[in-house]
Amino acid sequence: MTTATKAKGQRNINWAPYILILPSFIYLILFFGWPMIQGLILAVREERALLTLRTDAERNSPAVGQLPRGTQVDILGQQGNQIPPEEAGQDNLLTEVWFQVRAESSDGQPLEGWTPERRIRVRESNANGAPIAGTVRSILSSSADPLTSVYAEADEGSDVVGKLEARAPVEILGQATLEVWFQVKGQNGSETIEGWMPARYLNVLGDGSRGRIEEGDTSQFTTKYIQSMVNDRFFWPALRTTLLLIVLIIPAQFVLAIIMALVIQADLKGSGLFLYVFSIALGVSDLAVGILWYSIFTQSGYLNSILQGLGLIDAPIIYLSADTRYWILIAIWLAEMWRATAIVMVIVVAGMQAISREVLEAAEVFGATLWQRIRYVILPLLRPSLQVALILRTILAFQVFAVVIVMSGGDIITVLANETYRQYYELRNFNVAAAYASFILLLSMITSMFYLRAVRTQEEVAE
Amino acid sequence: MTTAAETQTAPVQVSPEVKAIHRRMLRRHRLTRALTYLVGILISLWVLIPILFITSMALTTPAEVRAYPKGILPFIPLSMETMQFFLSSRGILPGLRNSVIVAVITLVLSTLIAAPAGYALSRFIFRGKDIFRLSILAVRAFPIVILSIPLAVVFLRTGIYDSVYSLALMHTALALPTTILVLASVFSSIPYELEEAAMVFGSSPLQAFRYVVLPLVLPGIAASAIFTFVLSWNEVFAATILTIQNRTLPAQVLVTLNQSSEPYQFAGGFFMMIPALIFIFYIRRYLFNMWGQISK
Repeated sequence: MTTATKAKGQRNINWAPYILILPSFIYLILFFGWPMIQGLILAVREERALLTLRTDAERNSPAVGQLPRGTQVDILGQQGNQIPPEEAGQDNLLTEVWFQVRAESSDGQPLEGWTPERRIRVRESNANGAPIAGTVRSILSSSADPLTSVYAEADEGSDVVGKLEARAPVEILGQATLEVWFQVKGQNGSETIEGWMPARYLNVLGDGSRGRIEEGDTSQFTTKYIQSMVNDRFFWPALRTTLLLIVLIIPAQFVLAIIMALVIQADLKGSGLFLYVFSIALGVSDLAVGILWYSIFTQSGYLNSILQGLGLIDAPIIYLSADTRYWILIAIWLAEMWRATAIVMVIVVAGMQAISREVLEAAEVFGATLWQRIRYVILPLLRPSLQVALILRTILAFQVFAVVIVMSGGDIITVLANETYRQYYELRNFNVAAAYASFILLLSMITSMFYLRAVRTQEEVAE
Repeated sequence: MTTAAETQTAPVQVSPEVKAIHRRMLRRHRLTRALTYLVGILISLWVLIPILFITSMALTTPAEVRAYPKGILPFIPLSMETMQFFLSSRGILPGLRNSVIVAVITLVLSTLIAAPAGYALSRFIFRGKDIFRLSILAVRAFPIVILSIPLAVVFLRTGIYDSVYSLALMHTALALPTTILVLASVFSSIPYELEEAAMVFGSSPLQAFRYVVLPLVLPGIAASAIFTFVLSWNEVFAATILTIQNRTLPAQVLVTLNQSSEPYQFAGGFFMMIPALIFIFYIRRYLFNMWGQISK
C-alpha cells in the first residue's frame, strides 16, 4: 500500500485523517456496536421482571421489597397520587380525577379544597367542556361516613379541611389527574411482602380484591432465555446440522476454490471468461441459489428428468422429504458449494497474485511436479489468505439460512440461523432469538480464535 | 509434440540431456495446459448448467414448468408467461420497488460515508490507523443474523420499524466495512505523486482531489457501488426480520415460499439472479481489488 504523509516534518497532529474517518466511525458505532451490545443484553436480561413495593404511595418512599412479574396479590387499599408530568401521556395508567371545589361545609363555614371526582356529580360545564359546578353525591352505604371529606391537597393523605353534606352544591375551580396506587400483599418465594405500587403495573381481577402483577419496573439478569433456547426441541438438531454442514462444506470448498484459482492463474487464453463464470455465484443470493437447486431436486425436477431420460429410473424419486434427510443435506451441500466457493476463490486468487512469479518458475525449472509446487510452494505462501478465507467462510457458514428454508421448509432440517428467524418471526420471542444470535456470535468467535491459533502454532513449529 | 520441441531447439548446439529435459518440460507444460482447460471447462459447466436450468424454467409456460420429464432450454417453448405470472403476483412489484429504493440508498449512503475513510486509510499515516483497520475487519466478519435481531427491537421501540429507510440504514452498516476497504485500495492504486504534482502547479488539495484523483478513481468507486447494490439486493435475513408491509423482493419471495407454486418460485429465483449475471461481468476486474484488501 502506498502511503504518504502530508504532516511530514510537522510537530502538531494532523487532524485531517480523523475528520475523514469520523463519519464511518460514528455510523458503525450507531448501527453496529450499539445494536450488538443491545443484542447481548436482550439475551440475558429480562426487562421489567421485578416490581418494587414501597412503604407509602410515593415514588420516592423507601422500598419494602420486590415481587416478580405474574405474582398474585391481595389488594388492601387504594390512593390517588400525583403523576410526574413526563409520564402523564402514557395510556396504560389507571387514573382518578380530583376536583378543586368551593362550597359551604356541613357546619356552615365557607370551604375550599380538593375532593375526588367520584364524590361529585357534575351539573354544569363551560364552553370547553370543563366542569364548573355540581353537587355532592350521597353515600348509600350505611356503614360509611355520610359526609364527604374535602382535603387540603389532591391526596387522601393530606389534611381534611372540612366535610360536605350530600347534595350540597359546589363550585368546581379546577381539576387534577392522579394515578391510582394500590396497597398490595403478595408472596415472593416464602416471604410475604406488603406495600404500595402504581396501578399501571397491576391487572385487577374479579371484584377488585385481588390482582396480578403485569410487569415490573426493574430489570434483572436471567438465564431463562438461554435455558429455553437450549431446551427447545430444535436447538440440538440445529446445532448438529450447522456443524455437520460446516465440516462437510468447507474442506471440499477450499479444494475446489484452489483448483479454480489455479485455472485462473494459469495464464490461459480466455481466463477472463473463466473468471467471470467462476465469480457469477458471488452476486447471487442464497435464496436464489436455494431455488436454483430446488429446481433440480424437486420431484418433477431436472435430476429425475435426466435419470428418467437415461432410463435409470421408472418413476420420479422424492428427494426432499422427511424420510430422505440425507438428500436434503446433499442438496444443501451442493447449493452451498455452488454459491460460496466463489468468495474463497477470489481471496485465494488475490493471495496468489502476491506470490512472485520467480518462485513458481524456479520450482518448475527444478522439476517440481504440479502437485509438488502446490504442496510445497503455493500452499505455504497462501497461508495468510487461506486463514482469512477460512475465518470469513466459517462465519458465513453459521448463517446458512435461505437455502435451508427452500430445501426443507425449515422444519425437517434446521440450522441455527433458521431457529433465530423462527423464534423472532414465528414465535415473536425476541429474547430467545437474541440468545440464538449471541450463541452464533460466540461460535463464530471461538472458531476464528481456533483458526488464528492453529495457524500460529504451525508457524512456531516451522521455526 | 516432440517434433515441435526438436525444431525449436535444433539450431543451437546442445547436449542430448538438455534437449531431453527441455522436451520433457515442454510436453509436461502442454499436458498441464490442456488439463487446465479441461478442468476450467468442467467447473464452468458446473456453474452454468444450473443457471441454464433455472433460466429455461423461468422463460417458458407454467404448464411446461409443471411438466415431467422436463426439457432443457432449446427444446422447450420459449414464453414470458411464467415471468409475467410472477411479476403480476401480489407484492412482487412493490417488493421490486422497495428493493431498488433500499439498494440505491444503501449504495449512496455507504459510498458517501466510506469514501473519506478509504481516502484517509490510503493517504495518511495516523495514530490508531491499525486499530481502525482491524475493527473494520472484525465488523466485516460479524454475522448479519446477530445484528438483525437487536436492530429490529431497537427500530420497533423507536417507531421506525417496517420501513425501507431503516432497512437501508442496516444494509449500509453491513456494506460499510467492505466499501471502506475497497475504496482504500482503489485510492491506493492512484500514486500520491499525481496529487503532489497538481499541488506543485498551484492547485489546492481539494482541487487536486477533484481534478486529478476523482476522475481516476471513479471507475473503482462505481465498481464498489455496484457491489454494494448487489449485496443489498441479495440480502434476505435482515430484510425479512425488519419489514412486514414494506418487504423487499427477496423477503417477499421467502415469506410466500411455502404457499407458492413452482412456476412462481423458479421465476423468482431467476429474476433475483439477473443483476448478478449483468453486474459481475462489469466489475470482475475489480473483484481482487476488493477481496485482496481483506486478506492483507
